[in-house]
Amino acid sequence: MKKRNIPKLSLIKLSTIKKLHKWLSLVVFIQLFIWLGTGLFFNLMDHDKARGNQNKEAIIFQKIEHKRLVNLDRIMKNFSKPVTEIALIQRLGKPYYLLTHEEGLYSHFKSDYSLIDAYVGDELIIDDSVASELARASYKGQGDISGVVKIKPPITDMLKERNIAWQVNFSDQLNTSVYIDASSGRLIGHSNDDKRFVDLFFMLHFMDYPFLGQGSVGGFNNGQIIFFALLTLIFCLTGFIWVIELLRKGRYKFS
Amino acid sequence: MSLHRKSRKYHKWLMLFVGAQLLVWSITGAYMVVMDIHYIHGDSLVKTEKQIIDSEDVKYSFQQLLSDHSEAKDVELGMLLNQPVYRFNDGKQKVLLSAFDGRKLSPIDETLAISIAQNKYTNTKALVTQAQLITVNPPRELSDRHLPVWRIDFDDFATPSFYISANSGQLVTKRHSYWRVFDWMFAFHVMDYIDEEADNKLLLFFTVLAFIASIFGLVLTYNRLMPQQSKRNRNFDSKLNKEVVDEKA
Repeated sequence: MKKRNIPKLSLIKLSTIKKLHKWLSLVVFIQLFIWLGTGLFFNLMDHDKARGNQNKEAIIFQKIEHKRLVNLDRIMKNFSKPVTEIALIQRLGKPYYLLTHEEGLYSHFKSDYSLIDAYVGDELIIDDSVASELARASYKGQGDISGVVKIKPPITDMLKERNIAWQVNFSDQLNTSVYIDASSGRLIGHSNDDKRFVDLFFMLHFMDYPFLGQGSVGGFNNGQIIFFALLTLIFCLTGFIWVIELLRKGRYKFS
Repeated sequence: MSLHRKSRKYHKWLMLFVGAQLLVWSITGAYMVVMDIHYIHGDSLVKTEKQIIDSEDVKYSFQQLLSDHSEAKDVELGMLLNQPVYRFNDGKQKVLLSAFDGRKLSPIDETLAISIAQNKYTNTKALVTQAQLITVNPPRELSDRHLPVWRIDFDDFATPSFYISANSGQLVTKRHSYWRVFDWMFAFHVMDYIDEEADNKLLLFFTVLAFIASIFGLVLTYNRLMPQQSKRNRNFDSKLNKEVVDEKA
């Protein structure tokens, strides 16, 4: 007799919770199965293939002959753009001064660079032939270059990249594409059909659809996922309360 | 037993085991999608404007540097507060030199580390509460490739920390409470509480079980909410519920 008035879930009635659970199931079930299915895929997939680097080659560095280096003063005089950083880097086995005019917090953020031949002092413009050479130097596959295109972000293969890039395509079995930053000549990365297949699952898991809102951005902060995530949260919470209630009522018994 | 009753039974039982994880997935997932990732990464805490190099101040050239330090790789000329400096790799170690006279500046001391952190931090009024040099056993949030590093804690919203490399004087990473929480959310989302990798067996087990449990749930949804079927089942359920109530009484 003494435990008669246990405070029940007084805020919302249990029947409301059950009803909410049933109706929410109708709204979220498709996305819930997509999340579980793609989640299962991420768990089981080949993580090396997913990176798209099967044909990527490490770049070899040459020793710099420091006596041949051009003096900085000479270079800086010719530049009207402000310079915040100068790096002595290598492209295709030759040293270059990489002048930073503008740089984001991360390399894929909007940036602006100039490349100066460190032995001669001439500016290197990354055109299609330089981009092709840079791409080839990073490539160890058997394919030939089938096309070189300059593309503006958003880049489907590299959604986070915010800089203009050269896309160098190779005719191999994986359809490898190599991306080169158009102002610095930096290798942005490789992509291929294996990675594109994985990207499809990320698009589904993150609801990062090209035809909705801002389009695909390679992230998971879009309106549609926030909407479904919150509904799913309520859905799981109501289900959880239901299980607790069944436990309390002793409805879990072997028979 | 009808499919409906079977589904009801299996949904009930399976959810006893995986229901809690489904709730964890939905809570952690909701947190991760609601919180803007750039905010989480602390991007708004870092000043992006950089000082411009005046080549007049650079008295020590790249040539001199390479002849004095023949093993130097990835040489960079940049600004450290108000002075031009070189940073390069000497083997695995980063080295910091003054570009004025080639004097070695690394490793930097506490005062300089604090000044760099304050200079990089957007809220100029925030006070530094603690500065700590970490050389071994980095905390979970810090990769050991950044060592040695100064951890500078600010007295500000969400207790931000800036990690300043003791050898390069650069901001290598940053953290604040919401990012720390995010890291835990991710760990719980992929059920790997140590390395935060998604390819573990525990996750596989729970995902498969949750998938099966959800399919039974879908059968229930179909039976409940489809017009023709629903009536019969609802009658059946209410009868069942009544029986239980009667039993109790």
